Amino acid sequence: MTFWRQVYEIARKDLQVESRTAEVALMTAPFGAAALIMIPLAIGTDAPLLSDLGPGLYWIVVLLFGILVILRKSAVDGGPQRDLVRLLGIDPAARFAGATIATSLLVLLFEVALGPVLVALYNPDLRGWPWLFLILPLVAVGMGLLGTIAGGVTTSLGTRTSLTPLLVVPLALPLLLGATQAFEGLQLGGSIVPWLVLLVSVDLALAVSGVLASGPMEEAVT
Amino acid sequence: MTHLRRYWLESLAVVVVAGSVARSFTVEADVVQGDVQRIMYVHVPSAWLAFLAFVVTMIGSVAWLRTRNRRWDRLAASSAEIGVVFTGLAILAGMIWARPVWGQFWTWEPRLVTTALLFFVYLGYLALRRAVIDPVQRAQRAAIMGIVAAVQIPIVYYSVDWWRSLHQASSRNSIDTPLRITLLLGVLAFTFVYAAILRRRLELARLEEELEVKRFEASPDVAGAGITAPSLARALQRD
Repeated sequence: MTFWRQVYEIARKDLQVESRTAEVALMTAPFGAAALIMIPLAIGTDAPLLSDLGPGLYWIVVLLFGILVILRKSAVDGGPQRDLVRLLGIDPAARFAGATIATSLLVLLFEVALGPVLVALYNPDLRGWPWLFLILPLVAVGMGLLGTIAGGVTTSLGTRTSLTPLLVVPLALPLLLGATQAFEGLQLGGSIVPWLVLLVSVDLALAVSGVLASGPMEEAVT
Repeated sequence: MTHLRRYWLESLAVVVVAGSVARSFTVEADVVQGDVQRIMYVHVPSAWLAFLAFVVTMIGSVAWLRTRNRRWDRLAASSAEIGVVFTGLAILAGMIWARPVWGQFWTWEPRLVTTALLFFVYLGYLALRRAVIDPVQRAQRAAIMGIVAAVQIPIVYYSVDWWRSLHQASSRNSIDTPLRITLLLGVLAFTFVYAAILRRRLELARLEEELEVKRFEASPDVAGAGITAPSLARALQRD
């Protein structure tokens, strides 16, 4: 089996497990939407204020609630599953790439699901919206990479659910900054290229670190 | 004499720190900020030390993954601990300075926020270390995080250049010579302090491991121990 075939099969397996439970679509996305509905009740329902704050709040919800996508039960392989994948001779890098692709797609699904909620409730300025086709996947890939790395190092730990967010959230800072500043740049009509470069650079750095660390990561949970 | 030989680094650190403190209090005050600017002689070296400590953690992590020598893992962990303490000190000193100069302890500007998050990144690293009992697994997992966490370091460093903010950009070439010399002396003093603490912490980490092994050897066998080789024993064989 070629490397890319392995990647495809691992991603397909993760997405198939997710499709059975629909954890992201039926549980995490509605939870995120509920947060977006409740925030104005706490900060005030002034329409211009909400229009200004909406995009920033959206990215915060994506970042914090996206952790639930990373921590979803379908992302957790038990000992026997891990052993089986290892015995099948799956390349650790392929396993990492497959898991990252699956998680990134689910984070993207989560982002897309929350988009209409943001537009309907906050009425944000959507100037330059086609750029979102680039920004949303870049953030999703970054979250997917961070999640797969953090999930890898916390596999089988009793404190996994508390430790993973602590590892992911501070490291997701460049993603949050890149996304929010790019969005603001679009509204002000400025260049957003530096922010896109930041997002691409962080994604690349995490991808390289993740692929290089995939072998030791697999060894760590032996 | 034996004591001096044993504690030469600590002795050197004390001398340089004493010189740095004396210089910090006697050098002329900043024309604009007055005496409050003297906090910079603690704030800047602390921040420098935090960066240095985290870079050493990354180097230790890479070296562990390449060699599997436990010495590198001890270096990475010890340096991260010191880095967290000095990051906290840098934030605290910065806040004390900010109150009279900016009018508030905290402001939402990139350098402050990214530094605070750097603090949490390495708290997470230390939390991960505490969560794993097996020494080999602990070293392995922590090494991966030690490398990934280093991504944050350039972001903190360049944040003042990337975003226009209240925090001043690097001023090493624009400040007056007497002040610059004092600042450099502070950096040197803090570096010696770091080296001295790191040396002691490494020794302590080695002793902790020896104690862990002795406790492990003294503990009675559990059911199934004959079938599953204990990882700690494996770790020792690799050392």
